[in-house]
This record gives sequence, structure tokens and C-alpha cells, in this order.
Amino acid sequence: MIRKEINKISEVGKALISVEGNPGVALNHVVELLEADSNQSLSFAKAINITEDATRFQVFNGTSGLSTKTKIRMLEVPLTAGFSNKMLGRSFDGAGQVADGGPEVIFEKEISTRLDTLNPTVRNVPKQALWTGIPMIDVFNTLVKSQKIPIFAGPTEPYNRLLSQIAQGAQADVIIFAGIGLKFDEYQYFKDQLSQSGNIDKTIMFTHLAGDSQIKGLMLPDVALSVAREFGDQGKDVLVLLTDMTNWSNILRNVANYQDMIPSLQGYPGSLYSELAKRYEVAADIEGAGSITIIGATTLESLEDPVPDNTGYITEGQFFLENGKLKLARSLSRLKQGVNGKTRSDHRAIMTAMASLLADAEKAHEASEVGAANDPYSQKLLRYRTDFINNIEEPFGEPIELEAALDKCWAILKRHFEPTETGLSKKLIDEYWDKN
Amino acid sequence: MNDISKKRTGNLISIQDSLVKARFFDDVIMGETAEISVDGKFLQAEVLQILPDPKNADAGIVEMQVFEDLTGAKIGDEVVFKGTPLSVLLGPGLLTSVWDGLQNPLYKLSEEDAYLKPGMNAPALDEEALWDFTPIVNVGDTVAGGDVIGTVPEGKVDHKILVPFSFGPCKVESIIEKCSVNITQQVAIVIDEQGNKHELKLAFRQPVKSPIPFKDRAIPTKPISTGVRVIDLLAPVGYGGTVGNPGPFGAGKTVLQHSLCKYAVADIIVMAACGERAGEAVEVFKEFAELEDPTTGESLMKRMCIFGNTSSMPVAAREASVFIALTVGEYYRYQGKKVVMLADSTSRWAQALRERSGRQGDIPGPEAFPMDIPDQIKGMYQRAGEDLGTGGSLTFIGTVSPAGGNFQEPVTQATMDATGGFWGLSQDRADAKKYPAIDPLVYTTSVYDGFVSWKDRQKMLTTLNEANDIDQTISTIGLKKVPVSNYIQYQKGLTIDFCVMQQDAFEKTDACTRPERLEIINEATQNLIDNTIDFQVGDLDDEQLKELIKHKFDELRQWWRDWNYSAKTEEELAKLPKAVDKFILQEEYAV
Repeated sequence: MIRKEINKISEVGKALISVEGNPGVALNHVVELLEADSNQSLSFAKAINITEDATRFQVFNGTSGLSTKTKIRMLEVPLTAGFSNKMLGRSFDGAGQVADGGPEVIFEKEISTRLDTLNPTVRNVPKQALWTGIPMIDVFNTLVKSQKIPIFAGPTEPYNRLLSQIAQGAQADVIIFAGIGLKFDEYQYFKDQLSQSGNIDKTIMFTHLAGDSQIKGLMLPDVALSVAREFGDQGKDVLVLLTDMTNWSNILRNVANYQDMIPSLQGYPGSLYSELAKRYEVAADIEGAGSITIIGATTLESLEDPVPDNTGYITEGQFFLENGKLKLARSLSRLKQGVNGKTRSDHRAIMTAMASLLADAEKAHEASEVGAANDPYSQKLLRYRTDFINNIEEPFGEPIELEAALDKCWAILKRHFEPTETGLSKKLIDEYWDKN
Repeated sequence: MNDISKKRTGNLISIQDSLVKARFFDDVIMGETAEISVDGKFLQAEVLQILPDPKNADAGIVEMQVFEDLTGAKIGDEVVFKGTPLSVLLGPGLLTSVWDGLQNPLYKLSEEDAYLKPGMNAPALDEEALWDFTPIVNVGDTVAGGDVIGTVPEGKVDHKILVPFSFGPCKVESIIEKCSVNITQQVAIVIDEQGNKHELKLAFRQPVKSPIPFKDRAIPTKPISTGVRVIDLLAPVGYGGTVGNPGPFGAGKTVLQHSLCKYAVADIIVMAACGERAGEAVEVFKEFAELEDPTTGESLMKRMCIFGNTSSMPVAAREASVFIALTVGEYYRYQGKKVVMLADSTSRWAQALRERSGRQGDIPGPEAFPMDIPDQIKGMYQRAGEDLGTGGSLTFIGTVSPAGGNFQEPVTQATMDATGGFWGLSQDRADAKKYPAIDPLVYTTSVYDGFVSWKDRQKMLTTLNEANDIDQTISTIGLKKVPVSNYIQYQKGLTIDFCVMQQDAFEKTDACTRPERLEIINEATQNLIDNTIDFQVGDLDDEQLKELIKHKFDELRQWWRDWNYSAKTEEELAKLPKAVDKFILQEEYAV
């Protein structure tokens, strides 16, 4: 089949090119850019904005080196990603091309990367806990299969270490790693960790390193999530690790800026919420098929920044990492109520009681900074706070089972409080207080 | 007047995300819907603006928003204008339904594909279901828009079949006898004053952007029992009232909305899940089907319908979903039903308008929202209200998701201005895992007299306020310097906060408090507020005495919370005021 070609590029900008007139390209369809004389393939690009006067494309490999004479060959298909079970254990770039120097992968099929919305009626209500061995998660913010949840952390926090630790114990058939704007060290760290934990053969890595083409970074989640979804449709339980979605949002901001879109907050496009939601909503427990769980990382300076703020409204909670600790106050698993009522009878109550006491303790801590927490009860609260931070908010200790973690909670309460001070019901106190 | 039987078309000249332009040569009506033919699929669109064509004086340009993904669209693709504005199909079968934002039935679509693809659609209401129609007008009667011609039972709801609201006076030429019909069959023929015949069916289409009229609008006065204590005590909402419910993420908006769905005393709940998580809508229609309606004892879904335009669905349909849901609410209000509509979240609706106006190149207002966003928000809430003429009401509770949790942002501000009530969720209370995180001191407003007297309400607020002030003092100068009497006042406030304002949404008995129980709680609360308590035993110094006071109040709070969880019988319920009386006298009460 002879493909239609366009011989003149009228505009070359950062990541974008335009041609004059209407060559008949359809929205979101892919074209191939070829070196004018040699017909050597330079890059693929996608039509993003079409009028009868001009057509604009996002260039996957960046625009450096392109000229007005670069040829455009129309492929007349929307963007797809290759899929094959042979992708397991391998590394790919944001466009789904092999990136580990290994042999080419023969794809079994091409899948759409449009990320159509799953019909809500075929979603199961999530009910199955994923245990991590981390008390702050298992006891206080239980992770649930098919949940979408990010780690919120400052840029210098060990968020990738936490992500990797959660992945290592993952009860998943397939792990999809999607790294955007990563430093090489981070990429290698994940690869090493996944190898050491014996998970590498069930992992597919999609990686975009800092400095790689922005458009490839922008596309990466769609390619990775489409592959994840294909495994999910085939009945597999898939865990997707998305790091770092702030990098991704910043690429989105840059490209929106190149496209002259009117910015809303801090230069991000007004569609930031919808764009993030489209990706995170791929997480699902699918009726009659498998599931997709997404754990992301969102780096932030402040919780009010548009990226974490919008993410918080989209995801089903967040794990908040600060000073290397998983903070109870700002962490939340919205799906925990679906699983923590069926564990031990004290699970929910102890979670609420300890949280409430910790909030009081935080107040006492603030008071203590101005020398006001001088009464005996405030002193108790302060000792409780220290104990809690060291023993419960520490995510990198030895993994422990839920029951042991709950017992540990009782032990901490007993170390510091009278039973009536805990706000726990008499029934539970009678049942558990003296056991620990 | 346009001849809408004639096919009017245009062709695409510009495509950008969900915004397209087309050239036309005939005529286009502002706000009408259109279908764009892309790769053999027909995509739904709505006219936003009509402009001159700089290239062709004989033509015009129409700007449209498209409700579906446009991948594959090309310059020149055909647009067919439909002549009718965005509308909703109203008739029996609305209840228990789950649709997307454009009233496509999601269960029906799932038979075709697990994923929602552009161009997919299905009839909004089941066309095969049979309804037992009973006529109530006779041949020769004069009827007009909104008049009832018959009824069908829709579950336990008596569904009235109305003459479409757009109709002027008409004479009934024929009407069927009592029988079973589906929504596609004719039930009556009426003749208008110009002599034109019109066929009436059980269902008709109604434009969504102009409201269905009231017969006799009134100020809402009767409070709704929501089952949520802090609301029913301090910020009740009346039948026909409006409430804005803002909160940062994680503050518990969703849990509160679900509570209202489950426990608010109403005939019908219409839910617009607008741009929010799909999982939350799924929880409602999959889990609520198993729960009981507090008034009828039937499945909760039998009083509900849900528009699920969730966050990953096309943005343009988000705006539509809220108007479509509102119109369904108005329709049932016109039938005399007490309707509560929940829109979660109105911020996503506003953001959809922002995305669109940005693409249209409008000059942005604060935070890039359209300049007229306050007026649009007001206009939306204005459609709620009580109608004495029909006995129905439409209550509108909208959640707001302020960026950064900042209540100064434009949508929250406009909502505060537009609504009668305001349930603000506080980050601090949410962080302390207090549910509901509505801060009684800062963020409750209400124009209604609720389930307790205004005086009692004010006393509660004063006590909470004082406790809060004393708490501040303790934090700055330390407990030692706070007088014992103030410390007691502080403990009283803590007790009211912990045992009355906070509630456990996941504990069967505590999750919902009805007015009778609320009255008992109020009695105990008022007694605790009104009476002084002498805790002194022996001669304790201040510090020891405060420790004793704290211990005594801790015990009371534990006892009270246990009561919240367990008291059910009349005898058990009566124990609370008695216990508080004994506590005031410092006598033994824990029996």
C-alpha cells in the first residue's frame, strides 16, 4: 500500500511541528518522519490539532535535526502499542520500543493506547487486601487490590525505596514499572531490587530517563497502562508502579505551553485533573477478568501544589512520606473500609483510637515547643508520640504480619495510657488490654 | 421558525481535543445538538457559538463541543444538526437506572463491550418494560404542559404521566383504557389550538438547560432528617434547600455523600457522580442495592438513579450530566415527590467549563475559570426549591473540591454565595480522623430551625466555642495556669464534640440518628451544659483535681460512645439522660 506523503514542514518548534493546509490526517493518527534524501526513519509523530489551514504534530523523538524538507509519511492509524507475553523481563521506552539492548520482541498484537473508560458496571467493588508487612499500611491504611494510590513525598524522601519495598512483597502476577523523568540511578535501583526479589521475570519496565524526548515521557503511561490493561483483561492481577507523576505532569505543562494553551494554576493546563484521572482510572478490579492496581509516586514541595492536589482528588488515598516516616495524619486509604472490617475485631477501633490520640499528641507537641505541655497527661501524650513515630510510622523495618502489628499497637497504648483514656469500647478493652 | 424536518449539515474545518468548528451554509440554532460522522460512528455534539466565516460570506462557522473522543476525525467530516437542544428522556423506568453523563444506560452498554467506546449509545429507558397505565383524563378534556393524563406504578412510586412541558392547551382526542404499555406506545392523542395532532407516550424528551417550572414556589422550612447529628443539630437542610459541601481531599466528602444517600428521608435520590472516581459510583449502585430504604424498607436503589460521568469519561459530558440530573429531579418534584439531588463534585463541573472556555480562547477570570462562573453556579442551585403547588421539593447538595483545600478559591466562594447551607469539612478534623469532619465552629450555616430549638443550638455552639478557646489557652500557657472551672468547661466541650458531633459512619447503630434519638441526645447535652459539677473529693490540689476531672470525663465519654453504638430499645435509650444527670451529681451511673 502506498502511503500518502507530505513534503513540506512549515514550522518546527520544541516537540511540535506543523504543516500548512489540510493533508487529510485524522486526529491522533500517527505519521512517520523520514530523512528527505535517504528515506531513513527519524521519528514518529501524532496529529494533535487539525484545521483546514494547518496541522500540528507532537514528535516522539523530539524535533532536533528536523528541517522543512523532512518528509512526513501518513500511516492512517491511531497510536498503538505492541503486546506480547515475551515482554516480561524486558525494558522498553515510552513508545514501547525495546530499550535494553536485547533482541527485538515479536509482538503478538497491536493494542490501542486510547485508554477508553472501563464501563463502571463491570467493575467489582474492591474487597481484597494486599498485605505489605508495613504496619502503617496494613493496620492504618490497608492497601486493596485494584486501588490507585500514590506516595506523596518531598523530592529527597526515599519514595522509590518505599515503592520498591511494596512491590517486592506484591501479590501480583505481573508488575509493570512505568518510570518517567527518572535519573539513571533510580532506574538501575528498581531493576536491581526487582531482580534480587526474584520478581524481574514477571516485570515489564517502561522507562523514560530525564533528558529523553518529552513526548516519549508524555506517552509512556498510556503505553504502559495499555499493556497492563491487556494483561488485566486476560485475567492477570497486575501491579503498576508509576514514578514520578510530578515529572509527567511537568512534561504535560511544557507541551501545553508549546501548544499555547491558556494555563490555569502555576502554568499547568486546565485539563490537568482530567489528564491525571484518565491514567489513574485504569486501576480496576474487572468482573470476569483480572485486576490492575496502581501505586504511584508524586513528588511535591507543598500539598497545595496543583499536581498532588489534583492527584489527591483522583486517587483512592495517599501514603504520605516525611522525614523517612509514613505519616499517619496525612495518609489515607479510601478502600480500607472494604477490607478492615473482616480482619480482627479490634482492627478498626484501634486504628481510630490511636489516630485520635496521635492528633492530641501532635497538639501537645506543638504546645511543648512553647513550654506549655507541662501537665502529666501532655507528658504522656508526648511519650506516646515518640513511641508511635519510631515503631509504627517507620516503613523500613522488618515486615510484620497484621496480627502481630495489632498486638504491637495494644502494647504501645498500654505503655502510655489508662484504658478509659483510649476512647476504646469497654468490650474491646476487656478482650485485648491484658493480653498484651 | 426552522423547518426541522429538513436535513441541515456542515463540515468540520477545525479539530482540537473536544472542540470543533464546522462550516455551514444553511442555518444553525444556538445550543442545538449535532452528530458528527467519524469513521462511520456518530459522535454527539452541542453548539456553543455561531460565527461569521471570514473566508466565505455565504457561509457561517459553528463552534461545538463534542461529548466523545474524536480520534480519527478529519477535516471535512460531516456534521448533521438535530434541531433540538440537549435533552433528557423522562418517564417510568428512571428509578434504579445507572447512566453515563448523557443518559446512556451503562448496564445495557456493557452487553456490547466492557469499555466505553466513542459512538456507543442505547435507548435511555428500557423500551420493552411494560407499565400498568391508568388514565385519569377523558376524551374532550383540555390539558396543557405538565398536566397529568394518567399514572403508572414505578416500584412503590406513583409515577404520573405528564403532558410534555412545552405543550400549550390541547384537547384530548383519544386515550387508551387501563392496560399495560411500554414507553414507545401511544397512550393518547391531543389536538392543540392550531388543530395539530400530537401523540403522547409514557415518556417524553425535555431540554435540560432551562428549568421545569414551579407551580407555587416556597421558602424551604421543613428540615430533612439526614441521620448525621452535626447536620441535623447545627446545620439542618430543609426540603427544597441548597447546601454546598466543600472539603479538601481526604476530608470525608464521599463518605458523607454516601451517608446521605443511605439515610436522608426522601422519596427519591438523584445522584450526579460528576468527574469523580468511578469506584465510588460503583459502590453506590452495587452495594446500595443490598441496603434498605429507611422509609419503605425496600432496596435503596429503588429510590435512586445515578448519572455516572466519572473522571476519565469525556469532559464535555460532565457539564451535561449535572443539568440532566437536575432535570430528572425537577420532573419528580413536579409529581409531588421529595427529591434529594447530590452532585459530586460541582468543582469538576466548573473545571469542565474552564477547560472549554480555555480552548475557546475566552479571557480567563480568577484561576482561569470563566468570568461568569459565579452566575452559572447560582443559576444551577436556583433550580432547587420547594413547590407547595405540587407538594414536591428538590433539595440540592453539591460537594465542592477546592484546589489546595483553600476555601477562598472561586468555586467555593461562588457556592457559599449561592447556597442556603454550608457544610465545610476541615483538614484538621479530618487529620484527627474525626468523622464527619464538618467543623461546627467555622463551617456550618443554616437558615432553618431544625430538630432542636434555636436556643439549644446556640448553647451547643457556645460551649464548643468556649472549649476551643480554652484549648488554645492550654496550648499557649499550659494546663497549670488554667482555672479548674474553665477546665471543666473545656471537658464538657470535648464530650459534646466526641459523643455528639462525631459519629461512626461504619457502625450500624451510630451511623444514623433519627429525630427521636436526637432529642434524647439533646436533652442529655443541654443538661451537661446547664449544670455545674463539683468534682472535689478530700483536698486535692489543682493538678490532682484536674487529673481526676479528666479521668471522670474520659469514663463518661467511653460510656456515652458505647451507648451510641449499642442503645436501641426505649429503655436503653432512656439511660443516657439519666446517666448524665447522675454524672452531674457525681453518682454511679455505669449500669
